[in-house]
Formats: sequence, C-alpha cells, structure tokens
Amino acid sequence: MSYWQLLKNGIFGENPVFRLALSLCPAVAVTNSVKNGFLMGIAVLFVQTMANVTTSLLRKFIHPKVRIPSYMFIIATWVTVTDLVMAAYVRDVYAQMGLYIKLIVAFAIILSRSELFASKNKVVPSFFDGLGMGTGFLLALVIIGFFRELLGRGSLWGIPIVPTKPLLIMILPAGGFFAVGILMGFFNWIDMKFFGGKGASGAGGGH
Amino acid sequence: MKDMMKITSSLVVMFIVAGIIMTSVFARTAPIIKIAKEREEKEARQKMMPEADDIIEAGKWDVSGKQGKYFECKKSGETTGYLISTYGKGYSSYINILIATGKDMKIKAINILSHSETPGLGDEIEKEYFRKQFEGKSLEQIEIVKAEGTDKIQAISGATISSRAVGNGVKEAMKFLKEKYTGVTD
Repeated sequence: MSYWQLLKNGIFGENPVFRLALSLCPAVAVTNSVKNGFLMGIAVLFVQTMANVTTSLLRKFIHPKVRIPSYMFIIATWVTVTDLVMAAYVRDVYAQMGLYIKLIVAFAIILSRSELFASKNKVVPSFFDGLGMGTGFLLALVIIGFFRELLGRGSLWGIPIVPTKPLLIMILPAGGFFAVGILMGFFNWIDMKFFGGKGASGAGGGH
Repeated sequence: MKDMMKITSSLVVMFIVAGIIMTSVFARTAPIIKIAKEREEKEARQKMMPEADDIIEAGKWDVSGKQGKYFECKKSGETTGYLISTYGKGYSSYINILIATGKDMKIKAINILSHSETPGLGDEIEKEYFRKQFEGKSLEQIEIVKAEGTDKIQAISGATISSRAVGNGVKEAMKFLKEKYTGVTD
C-alpha cells in the first residue's frame, strides 16, 4: 500500500470507531462536545503515531511472548512523557487537555495498531498508519461530538446556536451510544450502497 | 530456560531504558511545573479577592485526608475576608476548591483549582453556572439538590457525585472558617 492509501485506510476503510469499533469507551465518554472530542483526538493522534514508530523500531528486539506488555510499556512511556512535557511547557493547553492525556494509556486502538501493523512493518509505513488511524479517530470524535453537542446542548464549540437544549439525553452516556450506533450504521450504509462493502468488519477483521 | 532468559532480558532492558527516559523528563519538568503551579495559585488567589492588597497565609487545615490552606485577606491593614482552599472527594479524584468569603461568612465566589473528574460530565463543575450558585450563601444554605427551581444548589445532571463533592468540600471549609474566626460552634 502506498503512504496515501495507508492514511486513507485509517480515516475511511478501517476507521477506528466507525469501522473497527475500537476505543468506543472514549468515543462515548468525551464526545459530548466538539471541543472535548477534538482535544482528545489530537492527543490520541500524537500518541498513536509515536507508539507506532517506536514499536516498529523495536520490532526485532521485542520478544514475541511478551509483546503485549512491551507495547503497553511503550504507550505508557509516551503518554507519561507527553503529559509531563505539556504540563511544564504549555500550561494553558494542558489545563484543557490534561484530563484526557492520562486516559490514552488504555486505548484499545493504539495497542491494536502496535500489534496488527507496527510490529510487522517498517518505520515509515508504521508512521503513516499511525497518522491515518489517529486522524480517523480524531475525525470520528469530532463528528460524534458535533451531533451530540448540537442536539444535547444546542451549541457548537461552546457557542450557543439555539437557546434551548433540544435533546438533553444526547450529552449523557446513553446519547453517546445512540450517536455512535446511528453514525456507525450510516457509515456502513454508505459503504454497502456506494462501495460494495460488507459493512463493519470488527476489530482487526480485515487482516 | 534459554527462552526465559531472553524474555527477561528483553523486558528488563526495555524497562530500564523507558525508566531512564521518564526519570530524566520528570527531573527536567518537575521544577518548572512546581513554579508554574505556585504562580497560578497566587494569581488565582488575587483574582478571587481583587480588592485585597495583601493576602497572608494563616495556616493549614485538614479536610477529607488532605491538607488545605487558608488565608486572611487584608486591605490597608484591616481584614476584609478570607480565602480557603478545600478538597471534596469526587467520583474519580479529589476536587480542589478555592473559596472566597467576606467577613460576614457569606461566600463571595468559589473556584475549582484542580480535579480529574470525568471529562464531559464531572468537569462541568468548573462552569460558571454551577459555581455561581454558591455566591451569597452561608454555611446553612449550602445544600445540593437534584430538583430544579429551588433556592438551593442544583446538581449538574449526569454529575451528581461531583456536584455533591464540591458542596461537601465547601461546607467543611465554611464550618472550619466559622469556628476559627467567629468562635461559633454548632
């Protein structure tokens, strides 16, 4: 696959949330506003890319029997370093994002890409795979956040659009499941109708 | 056996390298974070009591297993109010709250300094509409309710535990201040 195809694969073909149905927990938990979704997406994009590159660099060194703890350790290291550096040098951004960064350690999508892609591929393709997956995750969170904030709060990026809260349930956890489910169905419908796909394949089913 | 040695050595080397990376980053960033935090806290105090020209640390007090600080705010030598930092045990973290009160022991403002509550739900406690409800209230009037349209403090929908934690933290702090400075115990 070319680098462009790798990027596109993460955004459309194997979108972490809508196609692989991975990391649904954060996709529901932090997307009750566009801003929250966006900030979380940026943090994941960075950690995903760095974890992919590191795993790929170390792929010959990591013993296959202990690969999962090794990947977890790489991810945890990057999350810790990001957390500390941001807390020290970009305090105002950290005040907004600090809550999200520590959560990333446990994201299934990052571990999944280490296992399925980075451990079997060279550094540059792994970099683009991480970039694509991270971007796909970011876009998914922003789209979910867009509908949830608009319907649940009547605002976008904190700016009021309508004075009432049309559908309060949308910003509660239950509304997150509705939003993810309906959007996932919509993505499947597009895929089947226009691209002749078979619908979401589930985590790693494409390999 | 040979396999086991390989596994162990591969893990140990990784852990040591990662440990060195994290320690060095920590050692470099920790003092910067500490200084920045202290400056932010000082600025937060000044913002809560804009009219005070001198804010003096008066001591420390214990609240739900943590230690808060309290301050006397003076204007041209005379005490005009108090600042107290307190903690409430929330859903997933200790919520650090700063309260400004006048001499009459009525809350002037509260501010959330730090917490790790659920993003999108619990972190609504930072929002003005929630914090504003505390303004002008005295110790007896602080009560968190779920119902709408009362003169009490309305909990955030989806974040009752975080809301209650803020309420409890504020209550404890007000009780402490009242005992300390007016001598009234109830």
